[in-house]
Amino acid sequence: MSKTNFDAVKLASEYDSRHPSDILKLALDNFNNNIAISFSGAEDVVLVDMAIKIRPDLKVFSLDTGRLHAETYRFLEQVREKYRINIDVLFPDAESVQKMVTNKGLFSFYKDGHRECCGIRKVVPLRRKLSTLDAWITGQRKDQSPATRAGVPVVEKDGAFSTADHTLYKFNPLSNWSSAQVWQYIRANNVPYNELHNKGFISIGCEPCTRPVLPNQHEREGRWWWEEETMKECGLHAGNISKP
Amino acid sequence: MQVISANPETSDIAMHITMVKKVLADGSACRKCQQVEARLAEAGLRDKIDRVVIADERDLNSEGMLLAGEHQVKQAPFFIVRDDQGNETVHTVYFRFIKAVFNRTASESEAAADIIDTSPDLDYI
Repeated sequence: MSKTNFDAVKLASEYDSRHPSDILKLALDNFNNNIAISFSGAEDVVLVDMAIKIRPDLKVFSLDTGRLHAETYRFLEQVREKYRINIDVLFPDAESVQKMVTNKGLFSFYKDGHRECCGIRKVVPLRRKLSTLDAWITGQRKDQSPATRAGVPVVEKDGAFSTADHTLYKFNPLSNWSSAQVWQYIRANNVPYNELHNKGFISIGCEPCTRPVLPNQHEREGRWWWEEETMKECGLHAGNISKP
Repeated sequence: MQVISANPETSDIAMHITMVKKVLADGSACRKCQQVEARLAEAGLRDKIDRVVIADERDLNSEGMLLAGEHQVKQAPFFIVRDDQGNETVHTVYFRFIKAVFNRTASESEAAADIIDTSPDLDYI
């Protein structure tokens, strides 16, 4: 059941400059028990740390693609134990994974892009989970990708996962925080973090599709680095058009 | 204009459907446009598309580029559905388009691929 009186556009404007904790409180107060944090096993741990102080019975889920780093699995467990929360770990459909791997091998994404693999391992289980919720909370930040996240509001109607019958809202409490602010919070509050960050990783995803970046490299360069150009090919804005 | 009868909710409504697809600078069709055309054919829906318009990378004034600008669409392919009252609805996500217009349901994996293709901000999930 979706809330019909929740004005995401108005609240996004009102809360745009508020602290992430205020945005989390707005989310948790408005959606009571039918809201959950999507925890990726990276810096979004700060959301868990903040939210647990507001709602000890917080719901958290995580996508286990089967291809995560061992460090990430250890970190998920560390977070579960420290905060004494259940993390609802979501798995891909075994038959779909098996069919893809049988037909294309274990590293098909290097040849034909990450979309199919991400679709099967992440989006399908995520979509199933979100169909049971009225709202979810993500760690998306504008500074993670100027190309794709510059317009991420602190709260929005989820255009990707809402359906004609089910409106889903998405909260992005860290939207306006920089990476530096996130790390200030982690250090100041003694928040546990994924040990991959000590090895040069900024963005953390699946092991084959994530690599550490060098100083001054943008974190986007650590993900799907082999397919940057092909991602743009369906765009219809002038920036994609080659100048003569 | 043809009568679309696949969707019981719209069975008596005449609709005109325009598909806008992109042609790249080298003259080839964009990957997603090719995939969607194949899925339309596989679903037996290809002949329900009244008109196919090209958004040509080499020509900013090509009809498809102008339609994309008019409807503020940023990715190809997309569909413009006009009813007999002249009302236009734009669909940018294929699995939602076939659900809304033809009451067809895409597979989970196809829907997931469509979501990824049309939601670039999901690139870090």
